[in-house]
Amino acid sequence: MLIKPDSILKLQQLMVDADKIDQVDLSNINQLVEHVPEDMTATVQTGMLVEDFQKKLLRGSQWLPIDPPNPKEITIGDLLSANLSGARRFGYGSIRDWVLGMVVVLPDGKLVRNGGKVVKNVAGFDLCRLLIGAQNTLGIIVEVTFKLLPRPEMEVNLFKQFQELSQAEENLEKIWHSDLQPVVLDLYRIKSQETTMVVSFAGPIADVETQAAELISMGFKSGISLGYDAAFRSKSCYSQSVLPSKLMSSLSGLGDMDFVARAGNGVYYVRENLFKNRAEISSVFGLEQRLKMEFDPLNKLPKLQLK
Amino acid sequence: MELKLRNEVVNGLIDIVGVDAVISDKSELVVYECDAYTMQKNLPSAVVLPGSIDEVVRVVLLCKEFNLPIIPRGAGTSLSGAGLAIDGGVMIALTRMNKILEVDPRNRRALVESGCVNAWVTREASPYGLFFAPDPSSQSACTIGGNIATNSGGPHTLKNGVTTNHILGYEMILPDGSIEWFGVEPDGGEDVEGYDLRGAAIGSEGMFGVVTRALVRLVKTPAYFKTFLAVFDSVDQASCTVSDIIAEGIVPGALEMMDQVITRALEQAYKVGFPTDAGAVLIIELDGLTGGVEQQASQVELICKRNKAREVRLAKDDSERNALWKCRKRAFGAVGRLSPNYVTQDGVVPRSKVPEIMRFIGIVSEKYNLCIPNVFHAGDGNIHPLILFDERNPDQVKKALLAGNDILTKCVELGGSVTGEHGIGAEKIDFMSKQFTEDDLEAMKKLRTVFDPDQRCNPHKMFPGSKRCSEFIVKKQASA
Repeated sequence: MLIKPDSILKLQQLMVDADKIDQVDLSNINQLVEHVPEDMTATVQTGMLVEDFQKKLLRGSQWLPIDPPNPKEITIGDLLSANLSGARRFGYGSIRDWVLGMVVVLPDGKLVRNGGKVVKNVAGFDLCRLLIGAQNTLGIIVEVTFKLLPRPEMEVNLFKQFQELSQAEENLEKIWHSDLQPVVLDLYRIKSQETTMVVSFAGPIADVETQAAELISMGFKSGISLGYDAAFRSKSCYSQSVLPSKLMSSLSGLGDMDFVARAGNGVYYVRENLFKNRAEISSVFGLEQRLKMEFDPLNKLPKLQLK
Repeated sequence: MELKLRNEVVNGLIDIVGVDAVISDKSELVVYECDAYTMQKNLPSAVVLPGSIDEVVRVVLLCKEFNLPIIPRGAGTSLSGAGLAIDGGVMIALTRMNKILEVDPRNRRALVESGCVNAWVTREASPYGLFFAPDPSSQSACTIGGNIATNSGGPHTLKNGVTTNHILGYEMILPDGSIEWFGVEPDGGEDVEGYDLRGAAIGSEGMFGVVTRALVRLVKTPAYFKTFLAVFDSVDQASCTVSDIIAEGIVPGALEMMDQVITRALEQAYKVGFPTDAGAVLIIELDGLTGGVEQQASQVELICKRNKAREVRLAKDDSERNALWKCRKRAFGAVGRLSPNYVTQDGVVPRSKVPEIMRFIGIVSEKYNLCIPNVFHAGDGNIHPLILFDERNPDQVKKALLAGNDILTKCVELGGSVTGEHGIGAEKIDFMSKQFTEDDLEAMKKLRTVFDPDQRCNPHKMFPGSKRCSEFIVKKQASA
């Protein structure tokens, strides 16, 4: 069943009562608990939309530097449970790097806090990392505390188009081995013969301008938005992750298929599922089953879906 | 442990690793009776120094057969007694498995054995312009396996993040002898299917299994540094400066504070030119690209001046910068000159509360008439008050424990934590119930059950109610 609790307490009750919960709608549990700009931290209920959260953080000129596609439609809870990320992943990492603590409702209805509100904390085991990307299969995250960053003074997106992947590779290697510090290092080919490389810089104006100038001297141009990522990924798509050094050979293997690739991370997205049956090779399957049995012995919550 | 059984275990261990890799003589075992937390001492039944993954597995299986505790150990630098053999058992010291197996500069990662010393990774990576970011003060001795066990920090984790942000994957031998690889595989991409077991077991203080190999992330060495020594008349001025820098939205590479007692001790020991009459100094290191660093440097200087810094000194070159850091990392050692004993606390407060907790430590110091110098990761709000005492004076020992208790309790009250990087270990078990509810702790125990259902791996740590002096029932299976 789908449940839509109007409070955390109600969610706890529903978890106790229900036999099976397929989906939890947390849109009524969506308040900003606190934003402490001077600590660069914020605590929020997970039903809040990602975009609404980012807007609230503007008050302190801060942000959570994770940019999943469609922030107007997805909640903080979605971001956490599916471990979402966007084009800026190369510069800022993924959501696991920004979570300081969380409050979770377990399948037995208990409310559990893990981690805390400070930027460094090793008291107890780390359930936060466990629950990120766990697709609400072990418990429902209802509140989370993030470490934040100041909004960059400036951000510039640059692009360059290539007829051949090999030319793109040459540019990529040059950037990779330089002192440049891009926050986006993407390649994509969407309905086109050409491959586009996107490089973004963010931070103090002086740094952004110097780095952008260096790319312009390599033939890059400014004036592109990062919207291609959401546009491509909002329709059904599949991801694959390889060693960054092997990305180019993987992309060559795609023939003329469309793709969006995080070149710095070795991750790429395509329309077709080329990677079936990967689940079979998971070596830690036994432990994962034990985890599920330990946290959700009655199987109230869904099973983990492998992508 | 009864003698006959002990001999049987020791002989079994010798069969696996050879006689020169087993320590069972009491006089030699004393070396392993504690780690850098010296308030408690327990002798392991035996120490084994395996040289390969296969040997670790066989040792673990032997412990399983005899139902013995397993105590994984790196270099023994834990400050919380995480490596104490509270109920005896077999200590598996990984110091002989210390090789760097591969540095892959193109993919910015390195594969190392878990006994590899932290600083060695950066040493091997630096020719490629890369480094391993977590840099605990014990980095010239502590091991990567130990860093994984405690989710170690260090001065430069302010900007770069702690160990969990820099470990891609690792191999763990579970107490049942199974070999698991968590997280990113050595030749694999960074997205991994399934639950984040890598993250779940980092910081588990050796209670889930024995780490044997690790795949670590390497980070590009910043192109430009600017390192300041800012000198203040009072701790309060220095504390306010710390809070102001963070509130301004500046995240320095590192932001460390040392008070007068510490700078005096360091100056006596190393003569680097610290002002011995100053109330406190800050080491502020900015790193990145030239333009941004220069811009932030002027902001930082302004904030220091606004808080009445007496002087803001710039490290002229790499050698001055290195000298500053060398001193900072030797600070705990220099304190040995001041007092026969000290106990280090590791509390954390929100960064804006640094001035408040520092004032509180001053009050505690007066209340118990104990000297409590401070050297700590101010930018993270991670305090390290060093409570000086003389163990020959029982009254002082009592007061030192009370003072630590007061300070950590205050950290929790201020919304912080009782440990930022040293771990709970044997030392801070009693604080867990101040920071967490019974349900919070139960959830953590579920996680442990998944990895170690018998609770045989590094037992009696972390959780209140741990049977601190109880005995493990040693049973040898009749059929074995």
